[in-house]
Amino acid sequence: MSKKKRNGFRRGPTRRSLLVGAAATPVAMGAASCAGLRPAGWEPEVIKVGLIGCGGRGTGAALQAMRAEAGTVVLHAMGDVFAEKMDSCAERLTTALGEENAGRMQVDPEHRFDGFDAYRKVIASGVDVVILTTPPHFRHVQLRAALEAGKHVFCEKPMAVDGPGVRSVLESAKLAKARKLSLVSGFCWRYSIPHREMWTRILDGQLGDLRAVYTTYNAGPNGTHKRKPEWDDMQFQLKNWPHFSWLSGDHITEQACHSLDKMAWAMGDEVPEKVWAIGGRQTAEGKARGNIYDHFSATFEYANGVKGFHMARQWPACAFDNTDHILGEHGSAFCNGWAPIHRIESKKTWNYEGPGNDMYQQEHDELFASIRAGKPLNDGVWMAHSSMLAIMARNSAYTGQPVTWQEAMADEARLGPDTYAWGDLAVEPVPIPGRRKKPAAKAEA
Amino acid sequence: MWKIDSGVEVCALACLLASLVGLGSCAAPGGPGGPGGTGAMDATPAILPDERLPFSETIPASGISIEMVPVPGSLDGTIQPFYLSSTEIPWDAYDVLTFELDIDEGVEGVDGVTRPTRPYVAADRGFGHMGYPCVSISLNGAQAFCEWLTIVSGRLHRLPTEQEWEHAIKVGGTGAPAWDRSNAGESTHPIGSLPADALGLHDMSGNVAEWCTLPDGAGVMRGGSFLDDAEHTGLGGRMLPTPAWNVTDPQIPKSPWWLADGPFAGFRVLCETE
Repeated sequence: MSKKKRNGFRRGPTRRSLLVGAAATPVAMGAASCAGLRPAGWEPEVIKVGLIGCGGRGTGAALQAMRAEAGTVVLHAMGDVFAEKMDSCAERLTTALGEENAGRMQVDPEHRFDGFDAYRKVIASGVDVVILTTPPHFRHVQLRAALEAGKHVFCEKPMAVDGPGVRSVLESAKLAKARKLSLVSGFCWRYSIPHREMWTRILDGQLGDLRAVYTTYNAGPNGTHKRKPEWDDMQFQLKNWPHFSWLSGDHITEQACHSLDKMAWAMGDEVPEKVWAIGGRQTAEGKARGNIYDHFSATFEYANGVKGFHMARQWPACAFDNTDHILGEHGSAFCNGWAPIHRIESKKTWNYEGPGNDMYQQEHDELFASIRAGKPLNDGVWMAHSSMLAIMARNSAYTGQPVTWQEAMADEARLGPDTYAWGDLAVEPVPIPGRRKKPAAKAEA
Repeated sequence: MWKIDSGVEVCALACLLASLVGLGSCAAPGGPGGPGGTGAMDATPAILPDERLPFSETIPASGISIEMVPVPGSLDGTIQPFYLSSTEIPWDAYDVLTFELDIDEGVEGVDGVTRPTRPYVAADRGFGHMGYPCVSISLNGAQAFCEWLTIVSGRLHRLPTEQEWEHAIKVGGTGAPAWDRSNAGESTHPIGSLPADALGLHDMSGNVAEWCTLPDGAGVMRGGSFLDDAEHTGLGGRMLPTPAWNVTDPQIPKSPWWLADGPFAGFRVLCETE
């Protein structure tokens, strides 16, 4: 992937078919869709979107999709394991769209699907694009199914929670390429204009050769849901998904992956040779806090001697730090996306002084523009690799062993139950480094 | 780094002292003006005599207390006397509400307060935490803190109205030093790290902008912040909330508690009576 390719907008339709995947719905742009060649009365085809995962992020992503164009992107189908999530999602979208844009919400009752196989029904409902925003565990399977069905995809981060998942995403990336389908990732900072300005300068060599990258995601814990008497184990774990390792991949995978992705971006998406990581669970109490760690620290070793340091933590009522430090032979760069500060101190100092942008909207603007243009975006390989950075660090911390990239990519360990069903579901114990034999899983009370 | 507007400062102090010793009211002309919301910006208000002393408001489970400073009422009766926190509210206090640090201490009555969700954003922005003013706080979040503090203290706390806030800064004197764009270094600073005004209020100008309420209950931020030029701090600092303050919250509904794009948004509390 060329970084230059990623830096521009790709607006402007072509004569290309809107959907060119092998199993695509035959929706064509029409013969005269090039700007300047449109006959009077020409209107672009409507793009139908299916939302898989109707929580807060999914609802946000669906709205951003519908706002990517002025009325020609509509929501056609929704799916969630919980039916009630679709009710609240639809209500919020309707409110957010307002009367003027209410027509963009076109989800008939028969296009609402619940249960564990909801994603298949959404994909088969006649949509052109799917948005994948369920808990991460389910992502790679849904991604594969969507691409096999010829759908363009917006895929939230992380893309997987284990080695088999990452390998599946890499296969999916190839599939998307072969079928000329757009695959846009939810690693949103790569869609932030100020970040692009800064990272482009780093990749252009303004710091010279890099020496080290240090990133942090020190934050507080996610919220929890107290168990209701009517919930079974599976419901309880799904409602508290960020806190269960099989569902979220642990917080380094679910949240801090953003910072590791920015490290990868600075490194030109080169992959490390090895990671050493430590972690533990110090503040998390209660069943709703599941079985994840609450802190990690990792050192990535790259072939060229560059080190990547990372610290992630979810402790309540403590200081936050979510910053990026990139050190090179000629100087250093500092980014605090929340301040916001984007600065390079090298032979001369550079600060980003331009406007910010809504990076979440940008993701969808570029996704739909790429579909219209018949020039598919494909974030597949780097987004899979960035997810793997977090997974390998987590596995190193869980086991107390360094993990090489080769080992991580070959890892067969799959998280979670073999099949998904309501009912009992034992909780894996919190991993203790150095303990070779896992104690038995405990049933959730 | 800063300069006291000595005329106003001295005059306001003199008024206050006169009030405290029961010498009656006092009006000082010539205070600096600004583009505020309630008009009559260019005079230090005439105030009622006021013999009250500051008191300490203990914040449960935080290890800190906040000094509440008496602010005399206006002579014309439009502003009743009140107490205002001498500093902006720090994370030490706000974390108690967010993370329920007081629950284990068995504080009664807290169950009725809706508490902020865990922040999605890096709420303190890396500026500093313990001892630093809380930021990224929505109007809703600031009001929830007041409601909680009312319950745990037994004293009525709320946000100041814009009129009360303006009254306080005029009585205290607008010349107190401020953390603004020129000296703050793109960050907030510990509460009370610059000298107070004549009333004992720190950082009314700058550091973080402070939530106040308008007559219709809507919010307005006064005082400007570390991000603003000097002329947009103090009385010159007035911002009405916009959706841009939360545009990068990726979820729908957007958080009613945290402003993803509000690194400047904090508050101080008013107490009606001791």
